[in-house]
Amino acid sequence: MPLIKTPPPHGGKLVESVVKKRDIAEKMIAGCPTYELKPTTLPDGTPIRHVYREIMSVCYGFFSPVEGSMVQNELERVLNERRLLSEWIFPYPILFDISEEDYKALDVKEGDRLLLMLKGQPFATLDIEEVYKIDPEDVATRTFGTPEKNPEVVREPFNDKHPGYVIYKMHKPVILAGKYTIVNEPKFKEPFDRFWFPPSKCREVIKNEKKWRTVIAHQTRNVPHVGHEMLMKCAAYTGDIEPCHGILVNAIIGAKRRGDYPDEAILEGHEAVNKYGYIKPERHMVTFTLWDMRYGNPIESLLHGVIRQNMGCTHHMFGRDHAAVGEYYDMYATQILWSEGIPSFGFEAPPNEVDYGLKIIPQNMAEFWYCPVCQEIAYSENCGHTDAKQKFSGSFLRGMVAEGIMPPRVVMRPEVYKQIVKWWKVYNYPFVNRRYLDMKNKELEIDLPAMEVPKA
Amino acid sequence: MPHYIAVYLDDARYEKIKGTPLEEKITYLFGGQLKSLVVEVPEDKSEKILKAFEKARIDSRGYIEDVPVAFRRALFEEIAKAKSLDVIDKVLERLDELVEAAKKEDEYIPPPDIE
Repeated sequence: MPLIKTPPPHGGKLVESVVKKRDIAEKMIAGCPTYELKPTTLPDGTPIRHVYREIMSVCYGFFSPVEGSMVQNELERVLNERRLLSEWIFPYPILFDISEEDYKALDVKEGDRLLLMLKGQPFATLDIEEVYKIDPEDVATRTFGTPEKNPEVVREPFNDKHPGYVIYKMHKPVILAGKYTIVNEPKFKEPFDRFWFPPSKCREVIKNEKKWRTVIAHQTRNVPHVGHEMLMKCAAYTGDIEPCHGILVNAIIGAKRRGDYPDEAILEGHEAVNKYGYIKPERHMVTFTLWDMRYGNPIESLLHGVIRQNMGCTHHMFGRDHAAVGEYYDMYATQILWSEGIPSFGFEAPPNEVDYGLKIIPQNMAEFWYCPVCQEIAYSENCGHTDAKQKFSGSFLRGMVAEGIMPPRVVMRPEVYKQIVKWWKVYNYPFVNRRYLDMKNKELEIDLPAMEVPKA
Repeated sequence: MPHYIAVYLDDARYEKIKGTPLEEKITYLFGGQLKSLVVEVPEDKSEKILKAFEKARIDSRGYIEDVPVAFRRALFEEIAKAKSLDVIDKVLERLDELVEAAKKEDEYIPPPDIE
């Protein structure tokens, strides 16, 4: 059996569109029309997405080989076949959307360079290649699928209760397509700064500092309980001639649904797992990707594969109900995709077995629970005492947390729970609520250095 | 048919009922690491609870879930005071106060006093 090595970036080359030299950046933006980035909101004003996160993830290479906002033909290709025009697979529309009013006021056209402002400062440029219109509801429906068109895995029609569907439905109708370039590199605030490992840096750390040959990725939008910890530990037994050398936790940071944990608690909760030795730091590393989560189960798992392959992971663990909310998809939809493919979404075979597909290796995992007969945390495919199982249910845990009860160590590590309480004290609330979403939308995870826009 | 509410006990709560007859009624989960008391709620009273709190629901085991934190905390307070599980009437006497407290829970839940 050949030893597994770090896969190449998806598409062959990492996108790195960040101009670090101030004089070059100033020349690029001189005289450009400007547009202050705006959040995508629900009709009641609740922020659900900020396009700056997508621009960051594109320009730092998390979404390689995507370089910017998609042209119309590419959008159609992604919606119909989950492929870019370059043939490489990609799951989601990545779009720079503005309202009709803003488009009229901007008065830009194909060939123009638009300077995107963030928090009042220059942030990135968009070189406009094409301007077109979308029907946001149609894009939303086709992004996630329907029971009729995708009967293999879609169980219920998507509606306004689904956070990802609503993000696309609330997109503005005018799309400015073209390449993004960051011209004023943002500075991450604490605690985000110490978890920021964009793909090129992450690959370097894995190779030179951690010296991991094989790395399994763990997707998270949660503060870890012991069930998550067991998933990480057991999934990492895969590898080649030995278990994976490293476990790369990659948290999705951005607007989330109410009731999820604050981003800061998610990151520091995972960090506590290695800081306090539950998985030693030599084998465990916490990172994040900026993305307003779409909760798209199999579709989201494809994006996770893209991101983590770009970050240098060799394997990716996928659990039941991966990146899911509600019962829109089959609870095993992600595992179906990665074990046999989903033809109606363009995959006659798993995403790592098709041309121009991913190289990351999936590790599909079932469930962990506490078994009082085995007297240990058991894997569902091992344990025969199904009637006696005690599950690590998220709602059971959230109930306990909200009540201020410290969960027992076998359910959640005390050091992890203390991170929830730490951020609870900061935000006066243990979970994401409207106030947190508003605050995050205003403050964001970053600050931008002051920068003048030179006249042409 | 009665319904049930599980009241979880951490160390601080356990100390408040230690040495009382309630100790014999504790059920143990997760290898004995999680203690709970199970309060039986007659159907007419569980209906009152479901009516008072919009998000409350009965799960497949017949347990009342997703009640506000204020309700759960009040339930334990009454249990600790009476050293008995027969306290649901006492809690329902405070229903107006708990409904008011629950309204604020989308904005604020007091954090536990730990470092």
